[in-house]
Amino acid sequence: MRRVSKTSPRSSIYNANVYGLDTKDIWTCLTCGLCPIGCPQQVDFLSFIREERAGKEPLEVAHLGVFTEFAELSSKLDGVKPEKSDSKYGYFPGCVDQLGLFLHDVKTDFGEITTSSLKLLDKLGIKPQIMNMKCCGHDVLWQGKKDVFDRLKKLNLKYIKESGIDTLITSCAECYRTFSKDYDMGIKVVHTSELLDKLGLKINADVTYHDSCRLGRHMGLYDAPRKALTANGVTVKEMEHSKENALCCGVSNFMNCNEQTKALRIARMNEAEATGAKTLITTCSKCLAHFNCLKNEKDAVKKYDMDVVDLTVYLARKLDENVKKEGPALDSSKMENI
Amino acid sequence: MSEAPAVTTTKEECWVPNILAFACNWCSYAGADLAGVSRLQYPPTVKILRVMCSSRVEPSFILKALKDGADGVLIAGCHIGDCHYIDGNKNAEIRINNTKKALEKLGLDKRLRLEWISASEGLRFSEVIKEFTDEIKKLGQNPVKEVKVNE
Ligand code: FES
Repeated sequence: MRRVSKTSPRSSIYNANVYGLDTKDIWTCLTCGLCPIGCPQQVDFLSFIREERAGKEPLEVAHLGVFTEFAELSSKLDGVKPEKSDSKYGYFPGCVDQLGLFLHDVKTDFGEITTSSLKLLDKLGIKPQIMNMKCCGHDVLWQGKKDVFDRLKKLNLKYIKESGIDTLITSCAECYRTFSKDYDMGIKVVHTSELLDKLGLKINADVTYHDSCRLGRHMGLYDAPRKALTANGVTVKEMEHSKENALCCGVSNFMNCNEQTKALRIARMNEAEATGAKTLITTCSKCLAHFNCLKNEKDAVKKYDMDVVDLTVYLARKLDENVKKEGPALDSSKMENI
Repeated sequence: MSEAPAVTTTKEECWVPNILAFACNWCSYAGADLAGVSRLQYPPTVKILRVMCSSRVEPSFILKALKDGADGVLIAGCHIGDCHYIDGNKNAEIRINNTKKALEKLGLDKRLRLEWISASEGLRFSEVIKEFTDEIKKLGQNPVKEVKVNE
């Protein structure tokens, strides 16, 4: 099996813009944002890809496009009205429910991300209203379906306006990117990892952290998730490639799930394993799905003895353990320490 | 749908449900056949699509059908234990139920149905279609909005 494929940003730009050819290259790009980091001319390759893709038919969509179909279907239906609430915070769970239902063989409880996030936010004294919106439209936007994205955006903006929130919290890296960069709605968008450093947990463990492309290179959020871990006593062991050089998990926006991208996933898991940590933390539900998919493969190339969990899930589990161990006396013991 | 009688009826009255049925080759399609040869009557609301097994039906097929305006989607397969491919229908059951749960969020879950119909159950086939048609009639038209191309 060929595990290497050639993609050249330059030839795809040439082919599309100069020669006017229809090329495969614009679809094989993972949009992970690694080329723009290395480009001395600072070419905005991602915007090029996105514009070039608009209105064209994607080459290869994973899971037979079930998530795209779902987004398209919901974009054609009226949205619900927000429930009455005077919380200024809104929490958007994203598509964790659908991930859990359509990827049931990945054996990951995606819904736990939502419950964990809410638990942690509660601990921090934030009681958000749950935003029952449509999909943020990230995937369809990057798959070239601009019209579907626009419909979703319109419905979501209406919902947000009616709910009256001023801060939107999300634990998904892709939602975070889309709401901050493609919605321009004038309210604050926050990723859960930016809030979690004040939890005050005392965890004694080694983990390694995978920078998802949407949170890292697209949004520049490298330190917040690390701080959320270290401030709670966790030691973060860095992989060989981290921060802006981090390797991609191989699949973004549910495209290009094939042998070549699987090689990327294996490479990344190997790097994670080499750090010696037993837990790999991610902040993106897609990365979580893809690493766990590799782990649970039937005839796996290699068995990985490593937990892949979302940041919020990890911290919430530790919080539960703490409460069990120390009982409700947790707060007073913290006082003594101070 | 266009052959509705040209009497003075309102648009609502003319509407006939448009149901897409996926029937597995080994049981349900033969069941539908039997309903035909036995001359059992059932409403002409259903368009039957033959698939090799109920587990051939991907969630994305169902979503696509609903997106493109089908009022209901029926998946029919062999009874549990009778699947030609041993446990295809068990997998189908998990899948379809998960899809149903996902559709709940959009309020479309009642428009999806999974039934086991064997090759000898022609009568049952016609009854299922009758029942489902009535249910869809009660639910009314599929709420998806027409979107113009090049909008
Ligand atoms: S062959 Fe009929 S359900 Fe599998």
